[in-house]
Amino acid sequence: MPHPIYRSLRSARVLVALGLILCIGFCAAFASSIAPHDPSEQNLVSTLLPPAWAIGGDETFPLGTDSLGRCVLSRLIYGARTAMTVAVFASLGAMVIGSILAYVSGYFGGAIDWIIGRAVDVWMSFPPVILSLILMVGLGIGLDKVILAIVLVDWTRFCRVLRSEVLIVTGRDYVAAARLLGFTHWQTLVREVVPATLPLLITLISLEMAIAVVVEAILSFVGLGVKPDQPAWGQMIADARQYVYQSPWNLLFPVLAIFLTVTAFNLLGDGLRRTLDVRLAESGR
Amino acid sequence: MFDSQKVGAKAVFVLQARNLTVSARVDDAIVPVIRALSFELPRGKILGLVGESGAGKSMVGRSIAQLLPSGFHILGGELAFEGQSLVHMAAARRRALLGRAIAFIPQAPLTALNPVMTIGRQFDEHLARLDQRGRAHRRERAIAMLAAAKLPNASELLDRYPHQLSGGMCQRVLIAMAFVSNPKLVIADEPTTALDVTMHPPIIHLIADMQRQHGTAVIFITHDLRLAAQLCDEVVVMYAGRAVERGPARSVFSTPAHPYTRCLQLANPSMSAERRTLYVVPDQMPSLRQLRGISGCHFAPRCPLVAEDCCQAEPPNVAITADHVVACIRAEDTRSITTELGSTVATTFSKRTLLQVERLGKRYAIGRGLLGRTYEIAAVKDVSFSIAENEFVALVGESGSGKSTLAKLLIGLEKPSTGQIMLNGQDLTEPSTRARRLRTETMQMIFQDSQSALNPRRRVASIITQVMEAGNRRASWDERTARTNVLLAEVGLSADFAMRLPAQLSGGQRQRINIARALCNIPKILIADEIVSGLDVSIQAQLLNLLMRLRAELGFAMLFISHDLSVVRHLCSRVLVMYRGEIVEQGPIDTVFGAPQHPHTRALLSSIPPGGALGSLAIGGE
Repeated sequence: MPHPIYRSLRSARVLVALGLILCIGFCAAFASSIAPHDPSEQNLVSTLLPPAWAIGGDETFPLGTDSLGRCVLSRLIYGARTAMTVAVFASLGAMVIGSILAYVSGYFGGAIDWIIGRAVDVWMSFPPVILSLILMVGLGIGLDKVILAIVLVDWTRFCRVLRSEVLIVTGRDYVAAARLLGFTHWQTLVREVVPATLPLLITLISLEMAIAVVVEAILSFVGLGVKPDQPAWGQMIADARQYVYQSPWNLLFPVLAIFLTVTAFNLLGDGLRRTLDVRLAESGR
Repeated sequence: MFDSQKVGAKAVFVLQARNLTVSARVDDAIVPVIRALSFELPRGKILGLVGESGAGKSMVGRSIAQLLPSGFHILGGELAFEGQSLVHMAAARRRALLGRAIAFIPQAPLTALNPVMTIGRQFDEHLARLDQRGRAHRRERAIAMLAAAKLPNASELLDRYPHQLSGGMCQRVLIAMAFVSNPKLVIADEPTTALDVTMHPPIIHLIADMQRQHGTAVIFITHDLRLAAQLCDEVVVMYAGRAVERGPARSVFSTPAHPYTRCLQLANPSMSAERRTLYVVPDQMPSLRQLRGISGCHFAPRCPLVAEDCCQAEPPNVAITADHVVACIRAEDTRSITTELGSTVATTFSKRTLLQVERLGKRYAIGRGLLGRTYEIAAVKDVSFSIAENEFVALVGESGSGKSTLAKLLIGLEKPSTGQIMLNGQDLTEPSTRARRLRTETMQMIFQDSQSALNPRRRVASIITQVMEAGNRRASWDERTARTNVLLAEVGLSADFAMRLPAQLSGGQRQRINIARALCNIPKILIADEIVSGLDVSIQAQLLNLLMRLRAELGFAMLFISHDLSVVRHLCSRVLVMYRGEIVEQGPIDTVFGAPQHPHTRALLSSIPPGGALGSLAIGGE
């Protein structure tokens, strides 16, 4: 049987998703050299220009301009930087908090498990969007605050899903055998339990990235996301909303960007789940 | 009642198979799973299909219902029910037969019943399908049938759900449902395998009784040659898809003509005959993939009598007596396969006590509800015993008697509520790192489920020398490889197993790796929890012989937990009988099994088919 990582690289879903994510990631990393204009450079003479191929378009603004005459393409590319930063750091942060608690909870069980389980229950009873809005109001706006808010809201997702997997693995005889051979709890966790749950963890991170992109867009849309001078897709949608009849393009492009990014992450998560999860891989899906 | 009776009057046989061939698609090639199987089942007789897992015996039952797994097809031959071909029958007509004239008793009774419907509704549904009019009439019929299946309070039972009944009761319900339509043919596929040992004899008796009362023909599929000999009229022994021997049950069992049947018999420890070393058939039954590479007789690679001719062509069927047929060209030499008489139980262990358990108890708190009321149940009560150096002690009892909890207490996976465990005079129950280290160094456990006991991500070498990376030990990879090679040789595996993953091993090989891991640190006591249950007889014999050889070479004591009394008798010198958390009887094996004092011990002993006497007759006849 080939290693699951190689197997996953043969899956069409994973390949398509990885290709998309690499493109978006490339835009995010090299935004300053790809973007034709400064994203905040205003050009009040040519506002609400349509894309270059439409009637009245301008070659220098390939996807047109917004109400303040800023280049839409440049703003999209810089917006990718915001979105990817949030996706990576917020999901890693949520993963770290959620998975540590999940490992402790699932492996040791008993009172610790009960306390963590109830904390997750209480946490999850708040509607996530409202909770993040409240957090943003309290924390103030900014990229780091957005990441912090998402981490604080979404660690429960990791904790709950991963805990049940840890519980199953911990119940396997080989974990008991490791203890009987003199492994310390730390050794047992790191060498026996964690490797068995890594496929699930990788899948969860990829799905969480998609969620983080959406949450960041929502927060930016209501003006509680990143600072106004930093381009973000949610912000672009909010701006374009007022001129949707004059210039529907402005609304369309950031929506499309969000759609592609979220789809890519979801496809990746789904593809990884199918190939890394032994049970699904064996049943021939 | 059924029109099949009219047709049946003409046909002599209820079921007749002629050159039945079932094939499977493996790696884009067609491999026969059943090859040219022929048998006749006269009305009112019991035919036993005997073989180890992978022999193709369950495929016969599935062929009758045409419920073959995907990729499997009936390639040729004929399977006729009362003279009508089941292979070429229209699906609708076959469906009309199934459940009416042909009934099934499944292997796993709990999964065969619908968990969200009461027994009564499921029975009623079945009777309604049989065109029994009137709800009240159907209810009466169900009650009568359940009572006939010796279920107490049949009318109350109808309102119960399957999970409220024990496995044995569920199987009785299913037997009642199978026989309610007065079928011509019942197919029982390992009907006792999923049940507790003490439930085996009553279920077997019930099937036999029902079969006699209704005059039904039964196909009894089992892996247990002794059980088949006790119950069946005729036996077909299957190996790798071929019927290697067919004949009257008694004569197949007393004078097996095929080397495989003989080896199976000698690999099975006896309950009453003199102890003798078990015959070990090397290797295991070829898988479907391996089958393609074998020419001639499929048993030849493992056969002790193999000659050059065996690999040339498939052996023809040879009739020994009028009704005893064997597929072997050297059948006349089969009787020369034998094993040595001799005590298999070491009697030379020193009397020095190694492990002393005193008044050990474990209580679990259950039912912690909102009202805060907790109930305690005692899983282990006041257990006291001792194990001497090099002594193999057996722990027997039915499931739920607390055997596994006791094992967990000894090994330290659970903390005892009361009592003491003394190892070489040191208390293991005190929670100190010293006690834990002492336990790790002297005691190891071999787990029942070899699949769950091996980390699927580690390679064999890493698994069996895992102890060398525990705690502060950081052995180099060279040291570990060296130790791996020694241990693999000890458990009888070649060195190239070192880099395999558990998924690439068979059940028997996994259990050997499991044993090798426990032996890595050279422990003084092994705790073995049902380590041979669920394995085929020939694999079981290999492992039992392995354990005895290892004891002679390395010297260790063992607590051997098992429900199989003949295995226990073969391997151990002393026995502890556990019942509802207590040890109700203990002493030397021959004393306890010879003159059991406690009623539960007697119940356990009666659950073994009395095949031992027959077995000894055969051996004595040489």
